[in-house]
Parts: sequence; structure tokens; C-alpha cells
Amino acid sequence: MAEKSGGGVREMAPPAGNSIHRSGSRPQLDLSKAAIQGNFEERDPTILLPNQSDDISHLALDIGGSLIKLIYFSRHEDRSVKDRKKKFLEEKIGVSNGIRRSYPILGGRLHFVKFETAKINECLDFISSKQLHRGGMDAHDWNSDAPDNENAVIKATGGGAHKFADLFKERLGVSIEKEDEMNCLVAGANFLLKAIRHEAFTHMEGQKEFVQIDQNDLFPYLLVNIGSGVSMIKVDGDGKFQRVSGTNVGGGTYWGLGKLLTKCKSFDELLELSQRGDNRTIDMLVGDIYGGMDYSKIGLSASTIASSFGKAISENKNLEDYRPEDISLSLLRMISYNIGQISYLNALRFGLKRIFFGGFFIRGHAYTMDTISFAVHFWSKGDAQAMFLRHEGFLGALGAFMSYEKHGLDDLMVHHLVERFPMGAPYTGGKIHGPPLGDLNEKISWMAKFVQKGTEITGPVPMASPRTTGLGGFEVPSSKGATLRSDASNLNVGVLHLVPTLEVFPLLADPKIYEPNTIDLAEQGELQYWFTVLSEHLPDLVDKAVASEGGTDDAKRRGDAFARAFSAHLARLMEEPAAYGKLGLANLLELREECLREFQFIDAYRSIKQRENEASLAVLPDLLMELDGMNEETRLLTLIEGVLAANIFDWGSRACVELYHKGTIIEIYRMSRNKMQRPWRVDDFDVFKERMLGSRDEKPHPHKRALLFVDNSGADVVLGMLPLARELLRRGTEVVLVANSLPALNDVTAMELPDIVAEAAKHCDILRRAAEAGGLLVDAMINSQDVNKENSSSVPLMVVENGCGSPCIDLRQVSSELAAAAKDADLVILEGMGRALHTNFNAQFKCDALKLAMVKNQRLAEKLIKGYIYDCVCRYEPAGS
Amino acid sequence: MHLILTWCFLAGSLIKVVYLSSNNNNEADDKGKKSSNDCVGIPNGSSDYPVLCGRLHFAKFETSKINDCLEFISSKQLHQCADWHHESSSHDKNIIKATGGGAYKFADLFKEKLGVSLDKVDEMDCLVAGSNFLLKTVHPEAFTYVDGREEYVQIDHNDLYPYLLVNIGSGVSMIKVDGDGKFERVSGTSVGGGTFWGLGKLLTKCKSFDELLELSQKGNNRVIDMLVGDIYGGVDCPKIGLSSTAIASSFGKAISENKELEDYRPEDISRSLLRLISNNIGQISYLNALRFGLNRIFFGGFFIRGHAYTMDTISVAVHFWSKGQAKAMFLRHEGFLGALGAFTSYENHVAIKHRGFCTAAVPPAPIPVLRYQTLDPFHTY
Repeated sequence: MAEKSGGGVREMAPPAGNSIHRSGSRPQLDLSKAAIQGNFEERDPTILLPNQSDDISHLALDIGGSLIKLIYFSRHEDRSVKDRKKKFLEEKIGVSNGIRRSYPILGGRLHFVKFETAKINECLDFISSKQLHRGGMDAHDWNSDAPDNENAVIKATGGGAHKFADLFKERLGVSIEKEDEMNCLVAGANFLLKAIRHEAFTHMEGQKEFVQIDQNDLFPYLLVNIGSGVSMIKVDGDGKFQRVSGTNVGGGTYWGLGKLLTKCKSFDELLELSQRGDNRTIDMLVGDIYGGMDYSKIGLSASTIASSFGKAISENKNLEDYRPEDISLSLLRMISYNIGQISYLNALRFGLKRIFFGGFFIRGHAYTMDTISFAVHFWSKGDAQAMFLRHEGFLGALGAFMSYEKHGLDDLMVHHLVERFPMGAPYTGGKIHGPPLGDLNEKISWMAKFVQKGTEITGPVPMASPRTTGLGGFEVPSSKGATLRSDASNLNVGVLHLVPTLEVFPLLADPKIYEPNTIDLAEQGELQYWFTVLSEHLPDLVDKAVASEGGTDDAKRRGDAFARAFSAHLARLMEEPAAYGKLGLANLLELREECLREFQFIDAYRSIKQRENEASLAVLPDLLMELDGMNEETRLLTLIEGVLAANIFDWGSRACVELYHKGTIIEIYRMSRNKMQRPWRVDDFDVFKERMLGSRDEKPHPHKRALLFVDNSGADVVLGMLPLARELLRRGTEVVLVANSLPALNDVTAMELPDIVAEAAKHCDILRRAAEAGGLLVDAMINSQDVNKENSSSVPLMVVENGCGSPCIDLRQVSSELAAAAKDADLVILEGMGRALHTNFNAQFKCDALKLAMVKNQRLAEKLIKGYIYDCVCRYEPAGS
Repeated sequence: MHLILTWCFLAGSLIKVVYLSSNNNNEADDKGKKSSNDCVGIPNGSSDYPVLCGRLHFAKFETSKINDCLEFISSKQLHQCADWHHESSSHDKNIIKATGGGAYKFADLFKEKLGVSLDKVDEMDCLVAGSNFLLKTVHPEAFTYVDGREEYVQIDHNDLYPYLLVNIGSGVSMIKVDGDGKFERVSGTSVGGGTFWGLGKLLTKCKSFDELLELSQKGNNRVIDMLVGDIYGGVDCPKIGLSSTAIASSFGKAISENKELEDYRPEDISRSLLRLISNNIGQISYLNALRFGLNRIFFGGFFIRGHAYTMDTISVAVHFWSKGQAKAMFLRHEGFLGALGAFTSYENHVAIKHRGFCTAAVPPAPIPVLRYQTLDPFHTY
């Protein structure tokens, strides 16, 4: 099989019989002469498929009247370079072709880009520079002497697909193939609602709330697309839908009438005007009719609009006498409210629970969404909710993309997708760089300009108290003031990373109800707190990052850009917490790491980690000797104390960083351990001990396999987790150390662990034998098959990567290695604040679970365990509890 | 002429006055002089009721010209004879039954100018009572409007309820009527006659509602509306069941064209606006009728006002959205439902309530004077 023909292409190879090969006549990925570009040591080399035919399409368009939406797919580095250690491991933990399914899904990135239709040439330049019409740059580079493919086809939808067909032919030599708009719309919505966890959200009184929709309970729903007119589509399944209704009063009416009435030059200008309007000057309210009183008998408040534009009747005013702002608002409310009402009536008619609104009219405009939501809420008396889609503008383009028979997204699951928000949005990220932003240098320059232009973003956010829309639903919108950009409430669309190797952690008790974040950032003050913490920590982080890259001028420049970029991210999120989707602390912390990586700071804490690892390893033998002198019971307690004590070494906690100046590692460790007076704030140690050691008469079975999610480098892993792992191994339990795939703060990574273990093994037979059995020691790798047999006497110690690069972990998206390793595991140990407290504190597992952490943050201590800083958590939950 | 009763309906943009004049030369004169006490408490129309002869007059004024209205009432001394039985207390003499929002707003003005109190009667009650009264007692009252032709509909009294009453005033109320005094406002929309007139005034500088309506007759909405055909290159879109002439987006063409307000003919604007509003009301009404399983939808209110094009577009909308399952029906006295209903709140209306009416003239006269036994020249103000 192709998987074997060169490790590099493993993930790219379409195994026979999968969806890519449904038809022999269709183009297929040609893997002959596939090569990995760049250094083999590079972690994520780009894989080039030189013989891949040009017409493998990675581009789809939605050419609307005002915007062109473009979606392109960049095939992306796979984690496909397997070194020998990794291969050995896969065999050991049972990651084989048989168990690990072969993925028809291509790893890569889905990019979402917008252009103004009026500037179609920019769009053509972009496509041309990235060679998107020919399958991306990588293919092109290797194939530059190949003739242009005259038959190349780009799928497109939208009214402009016809109009600009000739232009595309002329400029790019490609044909546009028009796809039915409604098909595309529905296909796009279905894809988004199924593949993206928090795609849909409600919008009431200025508050966005993401709704997680059960894939099995999605259909039927009503899709209301508000373009020039409005289409209401009942969707019953993939490709199963019917246009059941619509209205001619839509976005075109708003913009058309608005243009006539206000002389605005653009839709956005009109929308922005409405932000500052007061519709009461033009609309006749119930109060106007009833002398300021409600008409309570029929449930109408005085502020309800009785007649849109009704006041214009009686007043002796001309058009010029009204403020364009007021007219725009009046018009907006009239149309939004009307659409909401008709939509609800249709949902009711067909018994549809959910109504999703999309289309250009909405454009992320908070007040539009509020008005529609209010109408649905009002008329349904709260039974129905209007929902909106984060990628709303891209439904058509996505659908057109899906209309390629080989788009490879069919089998995509929620957990395969990771959305990232590069600062260079909308079109950076991934390995493909076109002329628009050629390299990091250009990116940084662009950043500088962006920051200049974006000073409004980082400026203080006007904090108007959110006003309710009231019973009538027609109060003045909660205007955030004129200083704010009108698109402040827009949601960003990031780059969708398709990582087919991600899986749901199989030991989660119920993945459907699992929520990684322990504390909701939406809670009062929480986001503000983290904003402050992260902002204050930023200069220190930049210093470290720059130092890690040798402190060169280039590093300083990148450090500067990183600081700006990350500050802008933070400001954006303070302005609109829902801008990047549902925001949890895990996302926020990962965003920072991703941002560092974006500016090519591969590992800011590299030297610190190294230094601490060395210092800790130096004192490990003494510690192990001390432990071996204890009886079983004392030893177990000392080990747990040790894990908690060693967890104090944490560069993610400011409180701890200050401690570092007060002594050597082992001094701090011992001092810290001595302070571990039980009972701890959360103390299940006795239950855990009974499970481990049993009671007097009964000796329990040891666990078969334990997964140890490790945290920091240095003392934390060396003096805390390794001795605990050793104890488990000694008791006959296989141990899998689970570490980050990518660096985050000073967290130890899966790449670094084997060296640490190897060093520790020099002084400890238990660790050495187990590490050999687990294939971690290079010396023992000479004949891995033999190693397997020789060391059958020892249970193995293994290392797997967790699939993420954040100090927290979302167990819905872990590496397939970890998922495979979890299969036989019956004990999960989560260590450290990030993985055991900030996330997963309340996670329920199918097996025994031990959560260990020292709380190094006063606020968290108060919130989570009603305790104090340096309190300890030892939470043990047996399987099924 | 002796004016015996006055009812006012003071809606958002129009004031409607209904008054009854008696004619002493009428044959039924003697019966009319019976004591009202005899009449009260005969709700089911026994034969022993007083028959009053007289005429019901309908007049309307724009709300902004309330002074005209006050002068009219004053000149006809309508407020002086707001009761018809001599034994009424002097207190009653100075009362005019009124409904509509303006009944609150203008109460002080009436008191000041005419020295009368407005006795406010609930608007919705009046609307329903008015239409129940018309549908039961006046023949022919209800009609459909198809292809420019009115067709009167016989409605079986026993099969009248439930029905949907859509009152298009400044705004629109949709009322589910289950019987006499049994009704519920189930829906409504703020896009109504006030929107047509208000927006129309801003867009065309028309001086009156009637002028605006008149303009619409000469307009062509295709100039401004984006039609399905405009999008699909002149062809129908059978897949979604839309013909090329269906409006895809009202005023949608104004987006793409480099024209200003002045570049469009007021006629075309008026027509587009009228179609927008009629279509929308027709659609929401149908969806509500469907929701409550109502077979009949009656449209009333000043917006329609016997205006052929309005009735036509609403009929078309109901026909379109119901795929021919439902028909829009109209009432000949649609603008006066509220004022007529206020009438039922007088305790001594029994005679009229249960006596048949006939109308003097079959349309074209849009607002015929309701006659009671005698003929009276068409009168509108």
C-alpha cells in the first residue's frame, strides 16, 4: 500500500477504495516522485506532489454583487515523518494500519478570503500569485514547465459567476463552472453546522451565545438567507431541501430604499448610520397613538412600533428634515423585524425548531441580529430562537467547494478541525505564501501598518451598559458610540486547519457533555482578569522569546511584532469576546503560543527548560534513593507530595517565578514538599491509596496502563512525575507519559521527554528497563523487534504526544497516538494547573482519574476550591464515580 | 335632518366619524319614539323592537386636520345630539363615543372646543363588533377581488366563525374572531398604511394619501424592484417556483443603478411601495390564517379604502402564498369598522343591530352611505 512507500507520504496517500477513488475517470492524487521538501529534521516539512495533475482543485468562489468570497484549500504539512522511535511506539501501543483508519481526508488548511467585487482584479491577482487555480503553489513550482491546463475548472456560485466567467478565462485561463446557489447554500450550512463545534450562536440584547448542536439532531431546520431578497429553505438533510417561502423585502430593499432616502454610498455606510439613529422620530409608536400609554390589553408597550415610518404622515416635514441616521434605523428595524416574523411563521408551519439566518444583510451587524432575534422571540413567545452562523458569509463558497467530487471533506468530523486566527488574516498562514505577503519580513511590515491603522482597535473600548430591547423590541439600539468601528461586533473567520489525525480522547465518560474549560470566561470580570494577566506577562515573554532566538536584531523585530499582534488579539477579544468563536481560557492561552509560532519563535523557553532539566536530573538519584528507603505507604504519600511540590516550578505562574530567585531547585522542592501538610484543600489521597495499596488483607490488581499527562519541564517532570511513573512501573503498570506536541511556556514536550528519560535511566534500573521496553532508549533501538522480546520482563514506559501546543488540553481533540494509547489504559493522571484545573477539573472519565495540582493563582484558588494560593488539589475519581 | 348619534374613530392617521340622522317623515317614525327602555334587553331580536328610521353617515378627516373635523362636528351640531332619547341625563348629552388611539390623545381638545367628553371604547372591541355587524347584517358586504373584478360572497351566518380580521390602519392588526365579543389579536405588523403613506411622502413629496395611491396606478414597479427575471437573466426559476416577474427584492434595483431619488418617477416609486406593503401584509395574513386553521381572511382598514390596486395586490399575495388555497376578502365599509363598532357600545343600538341594512349604491361608489330604510344621496366628506 501507499502508506509504506516512503514514510513522508503516509497521510497523503489515498488508500484504495476510499472516497477519493470513487470514479476512475476523476483526477487522483499522483504520488509518484513525491518528495519531502526541506530538511528531514524539520518538524513539518511540506510534502510536494510533483506529478499531481494541475486540476486538483483547491479553490471555490462565491461571486456576489458586492463581495467575492473565496475559499481555498492548502494541502499542508502532515505529521508524517516518523522517526524510528515513533514507529516503534506505534507498534507498541497498537497504532497500526488495521486499527488506525486510513484517512481519506487530506490534512491541510481551509482559508476564507473576501474581496470586493468591484476590485475583482485584486482577487484575480491573489489567485494567480498563489496559483490556486492550478492546485496551489507547491504543485506549480515543480511543474512550471507544464503547459497551462486548458480544461481547468473552478467551481463558483453567486450571481457574478456568469458575469465574470470570461474574465477568469482571459486572466487565468480557467473556466468557471456555475453551481446552483441554493444547493451551495445548503451544502455550506450543513457542512458548517456539522463540522464546526461552535458555529451557531444566538444574539439577544447584544450578547452572543454559542450553541453546540448535536449532529444527529440537526435536521430539519429553516435556513433563512437574506440577500437582496429573502429565501426561506427547509433543510431535511444533505442535499435534501426545499425553498418553502421567502419575501421580497430583504437586504436589497434596505439598501435600495436606504440609498434613495439617505444618499448613502454604500451598504456599510447605511448600516453604520443606523448605529447612531433614533427611529422614534419617524416611526409611529404605540405610545404616540395612545398618548404615551401602553396598549396592555393586547400586550403592546408604548415603545412598540405601531407603524413604520408612520410619523412621517402627520408631520409637516420633508425628507431633508429627517436625519439619515434615523431613517436608516427605522428602515433596518422594519425589515429585520419583518423577516424575523415571516421566518418564525414559516418555522411554525413546518414544525422546525431551529432557524438559522444568513446572507449579506446580516453581516455580523449586532443590531440587525438583535432585531431579528427579538422578532423571533417576540412572536414565538420565547419558544423559538434565531440563530446565526459564524461563517455566514461563506456558505455559498463553501457549498461550491463541496461540489467538487473530491473535496475530501465528506468524512470530516468536528474533532478534525482546529481554527486558528493568524494575525496576518485574512490570507496568511500555512506553507503557501504568495507575493501578497511573501515572507515573515513582509508579514511584519504588514503588521506594522496594520497596527497603525488599527489603533482604534487597541483604543479604549467604550463601555456602554447593554440596554435591553424592551417588550416592544424596538428600543434604540445599544449603541457603543461613534468611536467604535461599525464592524466591532463582526466575528472573525480564521483558518480552518484540517488535522485528520486528531481524535476524541476515548476515555471521556461522555464527549457530548464534556466541556474542557472549568471557568467560563464570560463570567463577570474573568476575561478582564486574564487580559490583565496576559498583558502584564507580555514584556517578560517577549524578552525570553527574543533571547531564545539569540537576541539578534531580527529576533527583536519579530518580538516586537509578536507583542503587537498578540496585544491586538487581546484587544479584539476584549471588544468582542465571541470574535473567535466560543472563548475559553484554553483557547486564549493557545492563541498566545500560536502567535509566538507565527513569528517563528519556536520555543521561547528552550534554554530555561534545558537548564532546569539538567539541574533536576542532577539531584534525581538522591531523591530516588531517599524514596527507596521508605515503606510503601510513606513512599506513595511522599510521591504525591513530590508531584504537588514540584508543580511549584512553573513559568506560567508569576507567583512562582519570583520564588526562583530564592534558592536552588532542590531546596525549593524540599521546602515546598515539607509544606505539603495534609489535609490538602481537595484531598482524596486516602481513596487513591486504598486503590493502589489495598487494605490490610486485600492486595488490589495493579492498573494495567496509566496515562500521565505531564506539565512543566525541570523539577516538575523530573522530580515529580518521573518518580511517580517509576512507582507505577515498579507495581507492574505500563506508563505512558503524555506531553505536548508543540512547546507552550516551559511545558515539557513529547520531543524532549525521551532524552530526559534516557538521562534519568542512567541512574535507575527500573526506568532503564521500562524505557528500553518502551523503545525510548536509542541504544536499545538497534533491533527493535528483539527489544520487544528481550524486555518482556518489564512493563514499558512510553511517551506520546497529545496533539496540542497549549498549556491546557481539550480532550475532544487529541493525537491519534494518544487515542490509541488510551485504549488499554485504566488510570489517567492529569497534573498541573493548565490540564487539571483550568481545564478538565470537572471532566469525567471512564477509568480511574487522579488530578494533581498546586494552585498558584489566588483568584483561581478562591473561585475553584475556596482556598488560597499554594493550596493543593489531589482529586481522585474511581471509574464510574 | 335630525342628527341623533355620533361615533368617532380616531385612528393614527385618519379620523372617521359615523353619525346617524333621523328623518321625521319616515314611516317608522312612531316606532322610533318608543321608550328606549323597551328596547334594552332584547338582544336576540324579537319582533318587538323599535325601528328607527334614519341614515348612517360616514365621514373622514386626516388626523393632522383635526380642526376641520371639529368644525364639521360643530357645524352639524353633532355633539349636541349625542343621544337620542330625551330622558337621558344631561351628563350623557355631552358624550361622544370614540375609539382609536386618538380618543386618548384628543380628549382634551374635544372637551375644550366642543365641550363634550369622549367616551373611550376599546379599539379592538369596536373593530370586531363592527365587522361582525357588517358581515351579519349588510348584504352584500364581503367580496373578493380577482383580476380587477369584485365578486360578492354570500356568507352563511352560521358558518362565519372563526375568521381572521386584518385591519390595515397605520399599522396592521390581525385578529382571530371566534364569535361576538370573542376574539384575540394574534399578530400584526408595523408595515402598514402608515408605512405606505409615510415612506411615500418622503419619497415622492405627495401631499395626500389619495394622491399617492392615485400615482401608483400609473406606475411601473419593474423600474425599481429587482425581479426574479433580472437575476436569472429573464427566465423563470421553476426550481423554486418563481416566475420571472415575481419581485425578488423590493427596491432592489435601486442598489445597482447609479440613480438618485430624483431620477425615479414618483409613480413607479409609489407602485413599488404599494406592492411591497400589500404583498407583505398578504403573506403574513395568510401565514397566520394557516397557523390557526382559518378559512376566511377579511381585510379592512383605511389602507384598502376600495382601492383596486391594493385589493388586487393583497389578493395576489394571498393567492400566491396559499397556492390558491385561500382568498382575500374585503368589506365594503372597511374603513369604518372601528367607528361602527363604537356604535354597538351605545346601549340603545339594538334596533339597528338587528334590522337589515341595504346600501344605496353598489360600487363604484367607494364609501356608500349606509341607509336605513330611506335613501340618501351619497355622502362623504
